[in-house]
Amino acid sequence: MDSGQQNFGLMEMSAIREMANIGLGHSTTALATVTGKAFNMEIPNVETVAFERVPLMFGDPEEMAVGICMPISGDINGHTAFIFPWASAQNLWRMLIGYAPESPEEIDELSASAMLEIGNIVSSSFLNAISDMSGLKLHATPPMVSVDIVYTIAASIVAEAEMEDAVALALETRLYGLDDLDTTGYFLCVPTMGGLKKLFNALGIPEAA
Amino acid sequence: MPVGNQLLVGMSEIKVAKGPAIFTCLGLGSCIGLVAIDEQADVCGMIHIMLPEAFKDKPVDKPGKFADTGIPELLSQMEKLGASKSRMIMAYAGGAQVFKFGSDSSSRLDVGARNGDAVTKILKSLGARVLAYDIGGSSGRTVIVNAEDGEVKVRTVHSGEKTICSLKRSAKRLAA
Repeated sequence: MDSGQQNFGLMEMSAIREMANIGLGHSTTALATVTGKAFNMEIPNVETVAFERVPLMFGDPEEMAVGICMPISGDINGHTAFIFPWASAQNLWRMLIGYAPESPEEIDELSASAMLEIGNIVSSSFLNAISDMSGLKLHATPPMVSVDIVYTIAASIVAEAEMEDAVALALETRLYGLDDLDTTGYFLCVPTMGGLKKLFNALGIPEAA
Repeated sequence: MPVGNQLLVGMSEIKVAKGPAIFTCLGLGSCIGLVAIDEQADVCGMIHIMLPEAFKDKPVDKPGKFADTGIPELLSQMEKLGASKSRMIMAYAGGAQVFKFGSDSSSRLDVGARNGDAVTKILKSLGARVLAYDIGGSSGRTVIVNAEDGEVKVRTVHSGEKTICSLKRSAKRLAA
């Protein structure tokens, strides 16, 4: 068996999918509010994956990207992250602050804090939605930003998550601008195994054998 | 083994080869890529370490995932191909903290530093000959090793590609 891979039943998987849909629906609405542009998202794939595969799930692993990582605390522990390919991150910057850094070296205080703000907004709306549905307390902690290749960003999040408890799950999610299809992003959610079980319990899903 | 054998060493993997091969650890963030060469036996091996030590309360599914189980496993796989521990020359890179700009990021997401400390300590206790290392910082590293000439290259998005050492030329120098 691959490390960290957990197999859930149909019931659990569809609950996860539904949670992700609603949570990310709130996130995209929040993103649309701050940028003034319409966004949509699709969840082509909800699966439990082995950690080793996670860094390969988000397009070209060697593409330069901006990653925003937000640890979750409260009743459920874990990590969530958005990964925006560099060109998409530049689009977001133009929408938010009117200009975009040409290269990672040019990221100044304003552009860095704009990205952190995006992280704050999309992550807290995601967590609020899940919290409302399940009655569990979830706290977003301050986000952190990384600019590097996709593989490095995803691998670092997974390694960090693995330090705590076997991570259960990764969601493959694509986020894109409605009138500007070039702005895309990926969402990664890695709750701890214990946290995910609490969520299933809160939703009234009996524990699978 | 075909010439120009390309080996991509993914997270938690260990790969070893006798003869010509090119080993790559892609985008090491907090992870560490460690390479060892025994020039005389013409054996090279690489490991992509994810965490400093195995969990006490869980079975180890993949020894390559942890520094404390992975490094001995790498050496033993190389010995099966005819390498000898006493002749091995090593280099390692990675262990960065790629998330920054956060409010208190210095205290969190520090797996990279712990990985670096663990690998350094384990190699020391094994009496391993380490020729070069490139750890810490905030940039992810791609490490490429050509087993034929022993060159260890490190590439980052922020400062391009550099050769940190040649495990073979130096091996000759040490022997002389």
